[in-house]
Amino acid sequence: MFDAVLLFKDALYGALVIAFACSAVGVYVVLRRIVFVGAALAQLSSAGIALALWLAGVGAALGVATHPLVLSLVMTLAGALFFGAGGARGRVPQDAIIGVTYAVAAAAGILLIAKAATGEAHDIFLQGNILGITRTDTLVLLAVSLPVLLVHLAFYKEFLFVSFDRETARTLGYSVRAWNLFLYLTIGLVIAFSMQFAGVLLVFNFLVIPAVTGLLVSRSMAGTFFWSIGSALVAALIGFSLSVPFDLPSGPAIIAVSGLLALVAWLVRLAQQR
Amino acid sequence: MSSLVTFDDVTLGYGHDVILSHLSFDIPEGDFLGMVGPNGAGKTTILRALLGTLAPLHGTVSRALHLRFGYVPQRDQVDYNFPLKVVDVVMMGRYDRIGLARRPSADDRRRAAAALEHVGIPELADRHLTDLSGGQKQRTLIARALVGEPNVLVLDEPTNGMDLVSTTQILGLVRELHERDGLTVLMVSHALNEVANYVERIALVVNGGFRLGPVDEIMTEHTLSQMYGIPVDVESFNGHRIVVARREPSRVPSRV
Repeated sequence: MFDAVLLFKDALYGALVIAFACSAVGVYVVLRRIVFVGAALAQLSSAGIALALWLAGVGAALGVATHPLVLSLVMTLAGALFFGAGGARGRVPQDAIIGVTYAVAAAAGILLIAKAATGEAHDIFLQGNILGITRTDTLVLLAVSLPVLLVHLAFYKEFLFVSFDRETARTLGYSVRAWNLFLYLTIGLVIAFSMQFAGVLLVFNFLVIPAVTGLLVSRSMAGTFFWSIGSALVAALIGFSLSVPFDLPSGPAIIAVSGLLALVAWLVRLAQQR
Repeated sequence: MSSLVTFDDVTLGYGHDVILSHLSFDIPEGDFLGMVGPNGAGKTTILRALLGTLAPLHGTVSRALHLRFGYVPQRDQVDYNFPLKVVDVVMMGRYDRIGLARRPSADDRRRAAAALEHVGIPELADRHLTDLSGGQKQRTLIARALVGEPNVLVLDEPTNGMDLVSTTQILGLVRELHERDGLTVLMVSHALNEVANYVERIALVVNGGFRLGPVDEIMTEHTLSQMYGIPVDVESFNGHRIVVARREPSRVPSRV
């Protein structure tokens, strides 16, 4: 069983890096109640990938500018800037704008893929292609994730303050809009790079479920980060290791383990409260 | 007493919507001012202009050099789902002093503990935010405002949604901070009866109008009836002033 897993060890390392990065920024996604912004950004990212595939399919690719990673980054970071700046404030509620973005990006992605490539591409688009991660991909993921996480470590108290109580932060001279944008951009960056391999479902899972597990287990910020990252790594390791020998899709297997861990955390929390 | 904040012919609003215009007043050092008016009258708009988070459409708001506000937001403005201890929240009041990307020092932690002592809840330092009562949450937010060593303590609806006991305790604490520490205090509230018996001056913000003066000058039937647009009575009970809307005689014809 382990021999089969070892055959894909580079893919496993990549999955662990994605789990680590997404679950760390996911704590803010859950605490700030922007779970659906995370979903919308993941869809925008996938629409960017789909656009690149469609352009390649119709022979309109323009080199690096239309590489899936580049278009995915452009779409995700544009979405992060839009939502980080407060979205279109006005008569339409923010959650409706997020819903519109999600639906339109998802539909656009599916339409572009339908006219661009084979059904296999459609599967990759939704479920990702974790097994296809190479050592170079893992190094690229690390090269993006580590600086993002170092930024989060360095500016922990600034991100925390503007997330917890923006009005008071503003009175103490913090540019709440700039810090929000910065935070959203780091989240967008992690999503865009993870989306290249993990697909919408898995990225969304890593942004939300581990952070929920962390919040269920711990009552401190440090503990929440620890358990969020820890449970994501465990879910990636177990889910991936089970999916290879049993010939299961890796993404959904990892999500199933994530869900189980969250369930266990919830049951433990319930038992403690009695 | 020198003036800490001066509003000079200030017009406030959002975009093209003017909320209040021609505001001119100042807040001297040592003032204990209550800003009172119904919800939606523009109190928060004035507050934002005072704190510097809203630019006036017209006029100028000038602040004394090195002026620092200790802001206590409305309790529901804070998200209590964050896994934070009381001392973590109090420490936020020093974040700007600590500096960008730096961690709190031993001195910051000592000051946070002192601020909690100051508001009477030193034993709650390691308690989780979600476990606190409404009054304890408010004391935590006041401690956070104090730990930054402000010149002016600004409280937005500090007793909103509180029971009688908690309301009395919080208002008592605020008065104590003013009298004992000489802190300049601005308290915003929609509850005239609560505020009027604690502060020294009142700013009434009603129906687009603004009037500021000593409590004795504002708490008269004439002034309040004029500002609120309905006849009111000001009663005195046990040293407290109570404002009640005058009950009009019934106009329903009797069936004789």
